[in-house]
Amino acid sequence: MALTFQINGKAHQVDADPDTPLLWILRDHVGLTGTKFGCGIAQCGACTVHLDGAAARSCQVRAGDAAGAAITTIEGLSPDRSHPLQMAWIENNVPQCGYCQSGMIMAAAALLKATPKPSDEDIATYVDNICRCGTYNRIRSAIQKAAGMVA
Amino acid sequence: MKEDAVLGETAALNRRDLLVRGALVGGSFAIGFGPAAAQDNKGKVADTPAAAPGAVGAMGDPELTPWVLIAPDDTVVIRVASPEFGNGAMTQCVALVAEELECDWAKIRTEAASTNRDYVTYGGYSPIHPAAAFFGGRSTMGQRIKAMQQVGASARERLRIAAATRWGVAPGEVTIAKGVLTHAASSRSLRYGEVVADAAKVKLTAEPVIKKPAEWTFLGKASPSKITIPAIVDGSAQYGMDVRLPGMVYAALMQSPVHGGRLKSYNADKVKAMPGVLAVVTVDPDEPRGVAMMSAAPYGYSLTGTRAAVAVIAEHYWQAQKSLEALPVEWHDGPGARWATTQAIYDAAIAATGNDINARVEQAYGDVSAIDAPGAKLVKQTYLTPYCDQAPMEPLNGTALVTADRVEVWHPAQNSQQAFWVASDEAGIVPERVFFHQTLVGGAFGRRLESDDVRMVVAIAKRFPGRPVHTIWSREEMTRQGKYRPMVATKMTAALDPKTGLPTAAIARQASRGHYPRFADTAYFMGCIPNVRVDARELPLHVTPGPYRGPGYNSYTFFQETFIDECAHAAGIDPVEYRLRLLEKWPNPGWAKSLKEVAKQAGWGKKLPRGTAQGVAITGWGLNGQKTLGTCVAVVATVEVTRKGALTVKQLDAAFDTGKVMNRDEITNLIEGGLIFGLNMALNEEMTVKDGRMVEGNFDAYKILRMAEAPPIRVHFGGLSGADRYSEIGEPPVGTVGPAVGNAIFRATGKRLRRQPFLTQDLSWS
Repeated sequence: MALTFQINGKAHQVDADPDTPLLWILRDHVGLTGTKFGCGIAQCGACTVHLDGAAARSCQVRAGDAAGAAITTIEGLSPDRSHPLQMAWIENNVPQCGYCQSGMIMAAAALLKATPKPSDEDIATYVDNICRCGTYNRIRSAIQKAAGMVA
Repeated sequence: MKEDAVLGETAALNRRDLLVRGALVGGSFAIGFGPAAAQDNKGKVADTPAAAPGAVGAMGDPELTPWVLIAPDDTVVIRVASPEFGNGAMTQCVALVAEELECDWAKIRTEAASTNRDYVTYGGYSPIHPAAAFFGGRSTMGQRIKAMQQVGASARERLRIAAATRWGVAPGEVTIAKGVLTHAASSRSLRYGEVVADAAKVKLTAEPVIKKPAEWTFLGKASPSKITIPAIVDGSAQYGMDVRLPGMVYAALMQSPVHGGRLKSYNADKVKAMPGVLAVVTVDPDEPRGVAMMSAAPYGYSLTGTRAAVAVIAEHYWQAQKSLEALPVEWHDGPGARWATTQAIYDAAIAATGNDINARVEQAYGDVSAIDAPGAKLVKQTYLTPYCDQAPMEPLNGTALVTADRVEVWHPAQNSQQAFWVASDEAGIVPERVFFHQTLVGGAFGRRLESDDVRMVVAIAKRFPGRPVHTIWSREEMTRQGKYRPMVATKMTAALDPKTGLPTAAIARQASRGHYPRFADTAYFMGCIPNVRVDARELPLHVTPGPYRGPGYNSYTFFQETFIDECAHAAGIDPVEYRLRLLEKWPNPGWAKSLKEVAKQAGWGKKLPRGTAQGVAITGWGLNGQKTLGTCVAVVATVEVTRKGALTVKQLDAAFDTGKVMNRDEITNLIEGGLIFGLNMALNEEMTVKDGRMVEGNFDAYKILRMAEAPPIRVHFGGLSGADRYSEIGEPPVGTVGPAVGNAIFRATGKRLRRQPFLTQDLSWS
């Protein structure tokens, strides 16, 4: 059936089963591949996007439920990698393989929106995505650096 | 110099051949990385089936060498053969070229070098060393350092000559900085992009001499952030999972739940009418396949066999996966089903260490009979490491387009050359007509090395020819169909000298399936203990083993460093001091230096509250039988264990010796990551078996550390010996951290952990 999504400020019409996870709508129907498939059961967070400003694991969001919400993906976080988190990520040489990092950044962006000056505990609690390369300490310090930039 | 004949501009000798064969020559993967590339990638799909670029690059720009092309706007494209999977290899390879090319770092973009082109130009990309090393492996291997520097130097000199010729001055009067050529006397300057077309025609009479390390201005000094990161942070990076091609369809995969089983029956009619379904196909490991020619696959084909499988192909992945779940399938389990429990496997392995049936000697010198002497002071224990899954964040996947006379593959391989040859073998198509496009890799850790995943991708695509088929393993499918770090049981015995407390003889008896449980590269078993015997037995187990970050090393380091700790305890000597005394006989000074450095930095010996303690370990990787090569890592772990047994790793300190370092921040990043990886292995990881089937399928059951559990890490550079090598750092920390934590737990609780993972064991104390 025809579904309309508001993604990164643009309307996209997609013909898909409303039970399809939003993750696959973004990746396969709309072609926004920055949102990653990692586990499919909301464990790893690689598929994190913003739904009406809040972080959501898109593998567990029904397409039918996301139609109408304002969806932001990593591609829509900034037009030119100018979001403080993106700049801090580059400066701190955070990623290794990088596959989990768009989900990490989206989770962190939602945290900073709600809590502009998070404690390390806030970060660890809120950004509980999996990074198999083990870049957690760099992620934490990059989030703190980005929080400082926003000051 | 022989190596020059195929490098740099002299590759033009091959160009005639290249043009003759032009129609067969594949372009490189046109999606690049680097500051100059990320913006271009936005909204772009992966390239369509390869065109023939001939003597120009995929972007139509003049190609200086197969490695370097420069666009009129000064964008410098540097092709990289070593796949990037988080190890920084792409950035390091580019840095090696940039050191000599004197170009603007901000204007570099990278592409994967083409394995097809390497083949049809008789090794045009792999001139100095056997090709395998160049399409996989690490970036700081001595020969690669020289080869990539030479590529940069040759290109630079040709640009210099082109500018000098245009100005009618001597090349020696032209200076170069940041991609700009200057003739100071006449105040003239040209950008690389303005002379590159001329430079492409320049032939050097002799290859320029590359800089010595002492002359480097960038390598070993700068710590550039990885060239892949801009594309990672805006979502434009193209992993295998992100390949999008016109007409592409998706396959969801199910393989025999017992490794080694066969497909008994399935009913495609039940799913054919489901939305989007295009076909149900099967893969039979027993069918004949292959190309009648000598393979140059670096790891051969014997480890790449497919499993029995059925796959649903559909317009979208979600449709394929849902239909697969609805597909009735029955399997012949085969002999693996007799292993009812993991414990039965462990018991069999431990029992096997008690006899010498089929024992193969791995390492032996001196005379170990002191162990049998009456009254000998013995330390004797049995250790075990379980099956572990590499679990990279990007699930296994790949895309292939098979037609009657060619196969094209877009894939996140750990070694593109292995992948190239496996694709040829599975498709039954000669390598000239195999076009393999290396993508960025979302983690590998050994799982993507052997290319069994490539074989499966091609096996499915060849049953649906004419359209690109993107096969995706679900996380559960991937986890249960792994090629695991083998389960290894080891019985270790040492006789201690009654005076010194040090081992006079040691025996390690191992049992496993998989060729990785060696005690290679360990100082103690390479000379510090005067009499040694290490042997191994193969068990008839069905669970498929494979390389996992630090193959073999990730197990025996735990055995060795726990055992040595037990010896130190039995001798009543401080664990750091005991190791230093053992290392007195070791000719590689970096080991003792690293151990002393980490002990000092971690405050070894300081008073700690009850339940809190420090443990130490030191291990080495990449020695290849040479005592003064490779990398050693020394770790002190500080842990706290509550009386109820709750463990917190409070701090990890690491010192190391790679000889020298190229990129200090990247080394730090890789040590931090390696420690977290090894810590998770030791604390959490265990794949279990029930009735022959692998049990854990996803991250709810197969736990991976998250940020809240990641300890603070301090990486210390004071262990560096300054020896003339840049040894690898990705694998070494993985083996050291587990025994350091286990030894700390012993000192905190009195409980000696002889099996991994630790967190399934009772750590309570009173």
